Amino acid sequence: MSTAEAQSAEASSAPPPATATKQPLIECDKVSKTYYRGKEPVQVLKELDLTIETGAFEALMGPSGSGKSTLLNLIAGLDKPSSGTLRVADADLGSMSEGQRAHWRAQNIGFVFQTYNLMPVLSAVENVELPLLLTKLPSAERRKRAQTALRVVGLEERMNHLPRELSGGQEQRVTIARAIVTDPRLIVADEPTGDLDRENADEILNLLVKLNEEFGKTIIMVTHDPAAAERASRVRRLDKGALI
Amino acid sequence: MRLSAIGVRNVLRNRFRTVLTALGVAVAILAFVMLRTILSAWTAAVDHAAKDRVGTRHKVSMILPLPGRYVAEVEQIPGVEKAAPASWFGAKDPKHEQEFFATIAVEADSFLSVYDEVKVAPDAREAWMQNRRGALVGDVLAKKLGWKVGDRVTLQGTIYPGDWEFEISGIYTATRRSIDRSTFWFHYDYLNEWLKDRTPAQADQVGWIVSRIDDPSQAAAISKRIDQHFDSRDVQTLSMSERALNTSFLGMISAILSALDIVSVVILLIMTLILGNTIAMGVRERTNEYGVLRAIGFLPKHLALFVLGESIAIGAIGGLLGVLAAYPLIEQGLGRFLEENMGGFFPYVRIPPTTIGVAFGLALLLGALAAGFPAYRASKLDIVDSLRKVG
Repeated sequence: MSTAEAQSAEASSAPPPATATKQPLIECDKVSKTYYRGKEPVQVLKELDLTIETGAFEALMGPSGSGKSTLLNLIAGLDKPSSGTLRVADADLGSMSEGQRAHWRAQNIGFVFQTYNLMPVLSAVENVELPLLLTKLPSAERRKRAQTALRVVGLEERMNHLPRELSGGQEQRVTIARAIVTDPRLIVADEPTGDLDRENADEILNLLVKLNEEFGKTIIMVTHDPAAAERASRVRRLDKGALI
Repeated sequence: MRLSAIGVRNVLRNRFRTVLTALGVAVAILAFVMLRTILSAWTAAVDHAAKDRVGTRHKVSMILPLPGRYVAEVEQIPGVEKAAPASWFGAKDPKHEQEFFATIAVEADSFLSVYDEVKVAPDAREAWMQNRRGALVGDVLAKKLGWKVGDRVTLQGTIYPGDWEFEISGIYTATRRSIDRSTFWFHYDYLNEWLKDRTPAQADQVGWIVSRIDDPSQAAAISKRIDQHFDSRDVQTLSMSERALNTSFLGMISAILSALDIVSVVILLIMTLILGNTIAMGVRERTNEYGVLRAIGFLPKHLALFVLGESIAIGAIGGLLGVLAAYPLIEQGLGRFLEENMGGFFPYVRIPPTTIGVAFGLALLLGALAAGFPAYRASKLDIVDSLRKVG
């Protein structure tokens, strides 16, 4: 179900059905990533094989430097693998140009970061509307969808507030609304509760669970927090660039 | 909300910095307009020179005199309707030692005929004709020194020493900008008689001759004819249109004009660097934010446009402030001061509309230029590195 449909779905009392397809959304085949520190190569991911199905909510854990953020960046199309094949949402990311990946990200990926990174001069609803500026939707439709996304995260009362007028938890909820406003197939969350207290962290995790269970969104979450990882349906662990 | 609005909204992000930068731009634009206006006022005499007048001077130098008999001969040259002699006098009012104004000896009748833009009341004109010590002064000069018709004025000669007594016969205005309204005109005969008494060798000579011609398009040909006429004489002449004559006057101060020209450009360059620095700071501070925008699908060109939009917006605000401040400060303040105190050099100080247009256009253009490098850097940000900076 899309967020655009969320408003009508919420209006009816019957809970919407969760997406139950088991098609693989993410397929990593011997994916490696090597960075260069000066002239010295540093292999961050080593021939990693991974398949994640549509509708999954998976947590990636591991010590610092284990490669979990690098893997998340590759899956989200922010970076390209050095070798191997990476298919996400029917696209071979390794063969796409930067421009093609930017277009693909705008259509398929929703991002939630540890730091909220909202534009301070834009209101909550304008921040949520940002990704829709890249579409050809009319202005009124863009605004309507942004308002719907804010309603999904429970912030319809604060939509005209600037980020500085919101709490940390509320800001993170705005970023989640921004992540779902384009109705992406995959949400990647990099330490989404890292800057929040327990109470706000639980609220964000509840929201991610809701997006997964009620709206059928596939979610990959990198976290150091075991309590957060527990909320995922599956936890994968990385160490030294390999899944263990 | 539109994409273009984001760059403009960023202007409000750090208001204090934006205000300071916009004020910096405004001051630079104000200084630019001021210098260009001064340059324009200085060259106004050239721009507004009469097209139907030809000036004749000594071929060797402007400061060397011509024989007085040349006036009548020039008047006989085909194409010349009337010739008027003039001689630089050089004097100051002991009551106003610091005030500079031009004092020029002329033949009243030929002067008023050749300079028909000089507007003087008929009775004042008649009074000047009848009074050997009479003087005709510009309204700007009269106002500045508090002179009125009938006043007796004693000037101290700087080239021809001694006290020179005059009576203000009339106060003139001008129907065109081709003549300075701060000049003190008096009778050539008064000077010439004094010279005959004291230094006869210098008598019966004139500084230059200004001629009214019948066909402005023939100015060059008539000038050539005049010079050819005196070609075989001991004292040869150099004739040119009034515009060229004024330009040759300006040639003596061309270094100053060039310096002002350069300074006006340097000021704008400094403004560009200040604006560029502000924009670069903003881009550096927003690295992480730009990383997020790139992550959610914005392209490098979008980031470049945001940076460009912000810089042009600050340039526009500063440019507008500078231009708005220019009118009261320059036209009412500096301009009036220059007209009243240095009318000989700046007879008419007004901001040319083209200067306003150019100044505002340059504020926008340099705003875009200042954003060039920061916009390029923003567009080249590596997404992963940008996100790592804070996260």
